[in-house]
Parts: sequence; structure tokens; C-alpha cells
Amino acid sequence: MKQLLYTEWLKVKNYRTFWIMLLVAVVMIPAGNYVPAQVMASRDLEQAAKMLGQSPFGFPVVWQTVANISSYMTALLGLMLIILVTNEYTFRTNRQNIIDGWERRQFVYAKLIWVVLLSLAALLTAVLTAFVCGLVYGSNSFSLEGFSYMWYYWLQVVLELCLALLVAVLVKRAGFAMAIFLGYIMMLEQTLVLLLKRYAGPVGGLLPLQTGDELLPFPLVGKMVANLSERYDDSVYLLFLLGYIVLIIYLVFRKVLKSDL
Amino acid sequence: MSILSLQNISKKFGAVQALSGVSFDVPQGAVYGVLGPNGSGKTTLLGIVTDVLKADTGSFTLFDQPAAARQRRQIGTLLETPNFYHYLSGYRNLEIAAAIKQRDKKDIGRVLEVCGLATRQHAAFKTYSLGMKQRLAIAAVLLGDPEVLILDEPTNGLDPAGIAEVRELVRHLAGAGKTIILASHLLDEVEKVCTHVAILRNGRLLRSGSVDVVISRHDYLELAAADNEALKTALLAYPGCTSVQLNGSVVTAVFNATPEPAQVNSYLAQQGIWLQHLQLRKKSLEKAFLEITNDPA
Repeated sequence: MKQLLYTEWLKVKNYRTFWIMLLVAVVMIPAGNYVPAQVMASRDLEQAAKMLGQSPFGFPVVWQTVANISSYMTALLGLMLIILVTNEYTFRTNRQNIIDGWERRQFVYAKLIWVVLLSLAALLTAVLTAFVCGLVYGSNSFSLEGFSYMWYYWLQVVLELCLALLVAVLVKRAGFAMAIFLGYIMMLEQTLVLLLKRYAGPVGGLLPLQTGDELLPFPLVGKMVANLSERYDDSVYLLFLLGYIVLIIYLVFRKVLKSDL
Repeated sequence: MSILSLQNISKKFGAVQALSGVSFDVPQGAVYGVLGPNGSGKTTLLGIVTDVLKADTGSFTLFDQPAAARQRRQIGTLLETPNFYHYLSGYRNLEIAAAIKQRDKKDIGRVLEVCGLATRQHAAFKTYSLGMKQRLAIAAVLLGDPEVLILDEPTNGLDPAGIAEVRELVRHLAGAGKTIILASHLLDEVEKVCTHVAILRNGRLLRSGSVDVVISRHDYLELAAADNEALKTALLAYPGCTSVQLNGSVVTAVFNATPEPAQVNSYLAQQGIWLQHLQLRKKSLEKAFLEITNDPA
């Protein structure tokens, strides 16, 4: 594993595109939370605090708030992974890595390392953002209550990255893969969720990324909406989310292990 | 020990049968040429050996063991095209190759020197010319001084000087006792270095084994006389002569064993035919190869 990590490090160490995208993806998390936090703090703070009983950016609710907001800003991480994987197909280095002495499964492990690293970078940034927001915008003292939302956020990022990985190994071409990935996460799934929810009930909440969304409602609005519509217990969404991750990883292995490179 | 042993390998791409039932053994120390026209299945075969393609049926071993990454790490392989990260320099690309092959990075300087890339090693791969890319691929093959090399059209994209250098390199490596599997459609490339050949056509193995056995190249005679028609008739009656052909002003006579020019000359003189021209010639590999691959059998 150390050897895989080292090799992947060599691949990105001098790859400027990667570092710029990573910087933007990481900065987006605090930046994306800063704007609503400022709005809440300046104008609507009192009203929002009244309705919720406290500021959404104060402890302990801030974990949920930041997890929710950050979960809208993960597409760039998916694009990064797509670039890292489709590069290998474009340069045919996926073949060369095998020829030179990796097992095919090691190629998948190497890319799964990126799923873990990128998702941990997102988690770490979100945790720090929430921590700082809680200190700056809240009046309550530090609390880890509701920190589990951060883990849900992390799992949703993992799932999204796995999805990006699957699209990349199936499609192999960067532009095409990005279009499919963005189309799905930004529009297609939401449309399917709405249609399913309207005509088939809460089962619409079980589509891949929606499971994460169901686990990460916005503190105030989420509660109101949740009460209006029928939904499953959180454990069901969690189970499906984990199930999707396992399924997608299985499909990636199957594709890479069985097909011609 | 067999370096590579193929048993009944078959592979289809859609409706195209790229390989059908190919079997042969590459002994240690051989320079094994895999010959065949374009599209005959050479690269497909080597792709299967290096696990980038999956055979439909059949099996193979490397170093008498089931093939796995560990065996591949002991083989320097150039398959089809140089595959490198475009945004990285030649040197950094070789760092990656060395990491995967688990070879010492210290060898990178040497192989870049051997392949004449030392001065451009820190330029990005995407700025390289076709020939430089090919040189970098050969440098990657040489990394760690492997005992076995697989070279698929190694002189692709090289200028005449580069081709000569690669040939010299292959000869040098062969001389050092390395086992080399060399796929090529350039026959003189093979003729100059190979000890063994396998000849493929349309995915079928036509022949394989040691060069002298596979490609029998009996010498032939080129003759001319005042009356070439009479010469032809006389030659056809000569014991061991299998075919006679008039090519322009000379007659080419092929025998089932190496002919003895003096005996032929004396025989013809007895027949009243006085030769103006008599020369013993060696059949070119190209000619022999074309005979084999064009044979409809």
C-alpha cells in the first residue's frame, strides 16, 4: 500500500492542474459557508435564532449546518478524480502500470486511495470550518453533539467519488465522463428523486446521492420539510448509502479486472 | 527453463479472430522474433502476455510460473506505443516506472544516457519528438537491467541513426545473454539478431522454432546463357532442381539442397550450354518469409 501511495504521489507531485483544483475545492468549503454565516449573523440572525432556538452556525447545530452546506460543493472533487483516472486511459499509462508490474487490482486500490484522501481532505476542511464558525458565530460553548452529521457528509463525499471513479473507468474519456457525472449529480438524480417521490413515495429518497441528502437536512428548513413528507428512518438511508458504496466499488473492480485495457 | 510458454492462446475482438490456438515456448537466452504482417496478432499476443488483454482461451507461464505482477516486474516491456504522463518530464516518468518495477532510482541516469536522452531528461514528455518518446520507452525497458525484454516494434518512429542504435543495443543485450522477445514486421531487423522466430498470419501460428529450421533458405543459382530457354530445360532435368524461372536476362534455379556451382557448370557444359553468368545467391529472409506467409495452407 505504501508503494502504491508513493507511486500516486509521484504522479501528482508536479501536476499543477491537480494542485490548483485541490486548492479551489478545499477553499470552496469555508468560502461557501462564510456567505450564509455572514447573512445569518448580520440580518436574519435574531429571527432565525428565534425559530430554531439558536443560530444555525452556533454549537452544536453548526456541525449539521456546515455538513449540509458543504455537501453542495463536492462536484469539484469528483471532477478531480475523473481527471486523475481518465488521464491514465488517455496516456495509456493504465496499461503501462500493469505492464511494469502492478496487478490490475492494485490499479484500483491506487485510485481508491484517492477516494479516501480527497474525501478526508473535504472532511477535515469541513470540520475545521464548522469549528471556526461555531466559535465565531455562535454563543454556545464547544460541543460535539450532532458531530455524526460530519460523518454522513464524509460518506456522501465517498459515495460521490466512487461514482466519479465508476464513470471514469466505464467512459475512459475525460470530457465525456465529466459531462455524464455532472449531469447526473446536478440534474438527473434530483429530477428522478422528485418524480419518484411524487409518484412512488419515499422510495425516491433511496437514490444514491439522495440517501446522503436525506441524512443531511438543513437544520431549520429540513425539519419542516421532513415533517411534511413521509420518510424512512435514518438507518435505512445510511444502509443504502453504504450499500451503494460497496456496489460501486465492486463494479469498478469487475470492470478493471475483467476487461481489456 | 522456459521464459515464456504459451498454450493454445485464442482471442477474439468482436467478430475478428485475432489469435487462434497459438502455442510456443521461448527458451532462456533466446532472441525470439515474433514475425507477421500488420494485423497478424503480434501485439495482441504480447498484450495477453503482459496482462493488458485477456485471452478467451488458453494459458501461459512466465519463468515456468503462473503469470503475475511479480514476473512482469522482472521483464522490461515496450508494448505498441510509449505510454507516459504527458505533463511530467522524462526523468519523473522513469521515477514512476522505477517505483512500480521496484527498481533503484539510481539506474535512471544510466538508462537515459544509453538512450541519448540525458540532455532532455527534465523537459516535459509532451514536448518530445516521436523518436524521443520511443527512446524514453526503451529507457524504461532497460531500467534495472532486466534479464528478459519484450520489444514490440522497438524502432517505430526512429530515424535511420536511431534504428541502427536500437539494433546495436538489441545485439549488445543479446550478447550479454538476455532473453529478448522482439515483435516486428521489419525482417532485416529480425534477420540480424534473432535466434528463434514465430511467424503469425491472421492470428494463426504458421511456424515457430529456431530460425534456420523455420525459415529454410537454400541458396539458389543465378545463371545466363546465349539460349536461356535451352538452359531452363537443361536445368529442370538436373537432379535436385525444384524450380527454374526466367527473370529478365537471367535464369533463377532453386534446388532442394544447397547446389554445387561447379557440378552444375560441368553438367551444363556436357549438355552443350556454355554459361555467360553463374552466381550462387542466398535467399533473402524477406523472400522466404513471403513464401511462408503467402502460402495458402
